[in-house]
Amino acid sequence: MKRRSYGRDAGLTLRMLFTTGLLGLLYVFFGLVLVYFLNVGIAPMIILLGILAFVQYYTSDRLALLAAGAKVVERDQAPDLHDMVERLCGMADLPKPKIAVMDTPVPNAFATGRSPKHAAVCVTTGLWHRLEPREIEGVLAHELSHIANRDVLTMTIASFFATLAAFITRWFLWSGMFGGFGGSNRDNNNGPPVWLIVIAVSIVVYAISFILIRALSRYREYAADRGSALITGAPEYLMSALQKISSQMTLIPQQDLRQVQGMNAFFIIPARARTMASELFLDHPPLEKRMAALAKIAREMGRPVS
Amino acid sequence: MGLRDALFGRKKLSEPRDDRLFALATAAVTLETELGLTTAGKAAVTFKPLSSGDFTRVDTDVESLIKAAGRSAGSEIERKSDSYGFEWLIVHDDDLEDQVTAVHAVAQELTDQGFGAQLLAAPFLFKGYQHPVYWIYGFKRGAFWPFIPTGDGQNRDNAEELELKAKLEKELPVEQDLTRWLALFDAPL
Repeated sequence: MKRRSYGRDAGLTLRMLFTTGLLGLLYVFFGLVLVYFLNVGIAPMIILLGILAFVQYYTSDRLALLAAGAKVVERDQAPDLHDMVERLCGMADLPKPKIAVMDTPVPNAFATGRSPKHAAVCVTTGLWHRLEPREIEGVLAHELSHIANRDVLTMTIASFFATLAAFITRWFLWSGMFGGFGGSNRDNNNGPPVWLIVIAVSIVVYAISFILIRALSRYREYAADRGSALITGAPEYLMSALQKISSQMTLIPQQDLRQVQGMNAFFIIPARARTMASELFLDHPPLEKRMAALAKIAREMGRPVS
Repeated sequence: MGLRDALFGRKKLSEPRDDRLFALATAAVTLETELGLTTAGKAAVTFKPLSSGDFTRVDTDVESLIKAAGRSAGSEIERKSDSYGFEWLIVHDDDLEDQVTAVHAVAQELTDQGFGAQLLAAPFLFKGYQHPVYWIYGFKRGAFWPFIPTGDGQNRDNAEELELKAKLEKELPVEQDLTRWLALFDAPL
């Protein structure tokens, strides 16, 4: 008997496809504008940024752990954590990632790494101490799903041209301030100057891609939540874990929040000192929506969760 | 699978591969004559239960089915759950082939009912060395790997495990990727 898998979400797939498509179109347009107006002047910058992005992508596991101040722990230092991750990897058919612990009372977790073979999962001591084992399992499975879905790769590619646009904007504003406009004064006589067009296009591309990337990031959170439900077979534990984590996030002092704020894109629930105005600019979906999506999966599995 | 997973996220767990399970029964002779390993009369199959009504029903069916099959083969079936939320069906039988058959039956039944993706692994316990030796079959991988816990803390005898891999590679599908050699330290066997 072939069973339809739980957590299928045609709407989510469609939205992901739509967002990725839009982002692709936007970047093609951006690329065409650059090539058309600047010929080869922009090539060194693209190459430089490409190298930067590649290095970042290549060292993402070590870099993120370093930035978070997390320490990789071996089996004898955290046997239970290792056992738990190993079994979940067995279920998800993933190689075992490096396991790291971050010493902070804020309960949270993140995953990083360019491929399943070069990945790391990090949990905070707060998560380990404040949550029940099955809840921790739900969180770990969410992070493993990020690894399985290759989210670091996807987001690196998705934000490459956005970074380029931001760079160009700044570069031209700088050189504009100091006179010469990068030697691009071919058609100064008629129409608006080239640098103005390029800046305008860069700003627009950056703004639109910012929103699209955030949307993509939110969709991938939903996908990882779904993955967690599949791996653990029990979405209700992830739900209670999210509830606990988010309620703890608001209790902790400002000091800690600022310290970890740079890591937001990776965290299961971002640390935020104040709530932002609109969902459009968030990299994580609001808790209520995640809960609703998980409750839907739980319903599909046959046990209603209120 | 790869690109689709990356674009849209995984939508299901991989299905089990139980086709290579019987290779262990075939390798039994080599295990005994060349390596001095004989079955300790115990094997198990472990899976992750789903918190769904559907699964609970199938689960009970599988258990009673396998118990009935066990009685006719002369093996005893025991059920346990562990602290990680995995369920274990343990087969007590002195014959390795009966153990393999029983494990295969559980896997087959779960797969037939559509819950094959919940299967994790099937450890077979052997004796003959200083420490207990497990040959673990990973359902996602379709391969075996050795697991030798030394009993002091969470240590495993990697040297011995690698030697077993080298010696048995030709007869048994052994998992080549060492990062997949899942440990089962508190296996309730």
